[in-house]
Amino acid sequence: MLLEVEDLKTYFKTQEGTLKAVDGISFKLDKGQAMGLAGESGCGKTTAALSIMKLLPANGFIAGGSINFMGQDMAKVTGDRLRAIRWRDISIIFQGAMNALNPVKRVGDQITEPILLHEKVDEAVAMKRVKELFELVGINPNRVREYPHEFSGGMRQRVMIAMALACRPKLVLCDEPTTALDVMIQAQILQLLKNLQQELDLAMIIISHDLSVLAETCDQLAIMYAGKIVERSTAIGVFSNPQHPYTKGLIAAFPNIKGERKMPASIAGNPPNLIHAPPGCRFNPRCYAAQDICKAEEPPLIEVLPGHFAACHFVKGMR
Amino acid sequence: MAKDIIKVKNLEVWFSVRRGFVESLTSKVQLYVKAVDGITFDIKEREIFCLVGESGCGKTTTGKAILRLVEPTGGSVKYGGGGLTPAMMKDAAMRTVSKKFLSKAEAEADLAANRVDVRRISKDKMKMLRQRMQMIFQDPYESLNPKQSIYDIVAEPLVVNSLGKNEADRERRVIKALEDAGLRPPKDFMWRYPHEVSGGQRQRVGIAGALVLEPQFLVADEPVSMLDVSIRSEILKLMLDLRDNKGLTYLFITHDLGVAYVFSDRIGIMYLGKIVELGPTEEVIKGPRHPYTKALISVVPKPDPRMKTDKIILKGERPDPAHIPPGCRFHPRCPSAMEICSQKEPEPMYVSQEHWVSCWLEAGEAKK
Repeated sequence: MLLEVEDLKTYFKTQEGTLKAVDGISFKLDKGQAMGLAGESGCGKTTAALSIMKLLPANGFIAGGSINFMGQDMAKVTGDRLRAIRWRDISIIFQGAMNALNPVKRVGDQITEPILLHEKVDEAVAMKRVKELFELVGINPNRVREYPHEFSGGMRQRVMIAMALACRPKLVLCDEPTTALDVMIQAQILQLLKNLQQELDLAMIIISHDLSVLAETCDQLAIMYAGKIVERSTAIGVFSNPQHPYTKGLIAAFPNIKGERKMPASIAGNPPNLIHAPPGCRFNPRCYAAQDICKAEEPPLIEVLPGHFAACHFVKGMR
Repeated sequence: MAKDIIKVKNLEVWFSVRRGFVESLTSKVQLYVKAVDGITFDIKEREIFCLVGESGCGKTTTGKAILRLVEPTGGSVKYGGGGLTPAMMKDAAMRTVSKKFLSKAEAEADLAANRVDVRRISKDKMKMLRQRMQMIFQDPYESLNPKQSIYDIVAEPLVVNSLGKNEADRERRVIKALEDAGLRPPKDFMWRYPHEVSGGQRQRVGIAGALVLEPQFLVADEPVSMLDVSIRSEILKLMLDLRDNKGLTYLFITHDLGVAYVFSDRIGIMYLGKIVELGPTEEVIKGPRHPYTKALISVVPKPDPRMKTDKIILKGERPDPAHIPPGCRFHPRCPSAMEICSQKEPEPMYVSQEHWVSCWLEAGEAKK
């Protein structure tokens, strides 16, 4: 097992109180697997990824649980050991990658930076690697000396992907990798990510609010709501047999261009405030099937079908 | 048959490329970014007309040019909805005739049909006309002033247009607009600030700001693309309700074919400043004729991993609109380009009564 997250809790200290952005999530990821993490904005999916990378802002901290990555607990690793792992073994493609590049530095130099830091090679070797990476992600290798503004949005996203792959990581976190891009460019980037994942045997966690993007790229899927994973299974399992009312709502909210022409359903209400999360099941104020028990007790994540987990009082466990 | 509320004919918006001093001395040809390069369509009363295309194809510029938020450089935009005063009509007609943009007969035809040319109307009349034509912006996070209360944001169009007899009348109108936009009860929202409400509610504030002037025609520029999927259809349903109850007409601008499919009546596919295919939504989505439309439809992600479809992924990105390729502007990326495509620009060809496409594949003589 490459990555095992156990009961991870990441909180933020704010003036109004402690914000429980991620409140006890667990999942496993094998080598070469792609997992999707879906949910509305503010559900804690980006915080979960930043916790794995230990890139939390100053007021954020890991309050509990463990992140077992290749035999070490990332929740406890600090200092030089953490720096050695970051970007060499785990890298991240940031949301809005087009703005994540340094505008006054040539893209080639930006990518050689992590290579020179992590490996004992000289600049010429590193630059040669960058050219190979450019080829891999579909950019003309002669463009290494250009500046970010000379690239279009889609090309900049490719540069970001090349940068994430610079030190041959085992795990790449992709935070909304295609959100700011056009459909055609989105299709190009998704195809590239999928090819890279298979070619390099990469493990990937793709974070998106767009279930249809995840449906196209991931083997495993976890649906997050208000800091918790409410459903987890294979992508096909989640789509063909959704168990949690929230998952059902999310799937129904997508217009399907191949299907019947009808207005998709919406989920009424807003996600809860995570400083004062509602008692019981966090989805209960918005749930169409909510009963008294949902307000009183929090449902555990139980196995409904082999490998298919859901956290709802009204799903039947396997036994 | 419903009347046309908007008639756009050969609309052009060109931006001149700025040149340096030396460059202008060496008398190089002036380059233009042809953001909108001659498009023609009309929108019927109570219709939702959708423009779809990649970013930079000119769809937002088209919307803005119709409201004259950017000045068109050619063609005409005619508005035939309600709210026109006789003075306005006359002013527009006189100016078009005196400036020889239109013959007298054509101007009289416009007058008879209760239509004005938005491009030829004077600035102060345009301000009045714009009360009937409003815009909803894309980003509810950026388009609302964070230092104004929701009341002030929604009341601002009234103040700018000096409407409303007094403060009480204005308040009444603001309350009505908030209620129409689904912010109920309005008193709960009026004195809050944009950061205190959710994204969906923020977009409703934007809609209320447009509704407060009681418009007939709305340009909605990607109104849901910044919102979470779970609340998108709420906003779309609100817009549909407004059409049904208030008789609004929409120009809906989006890059999301899925949303366009469920929401619009007719759809126009734009590529590099031109509409390449236009027709009833169901017909275009289920039976696309232009290779670009086909490719766009094929790459829309399907919300179901069991549905594997063949994708037509176009290579490269759209060309620079300052250097539009000759012939059909799509030919360098077209998977089925022929010789003629790089030489001659195809004219619109009707494939059914209301569905046309600009592609040489549809022309009988081009098929060998």
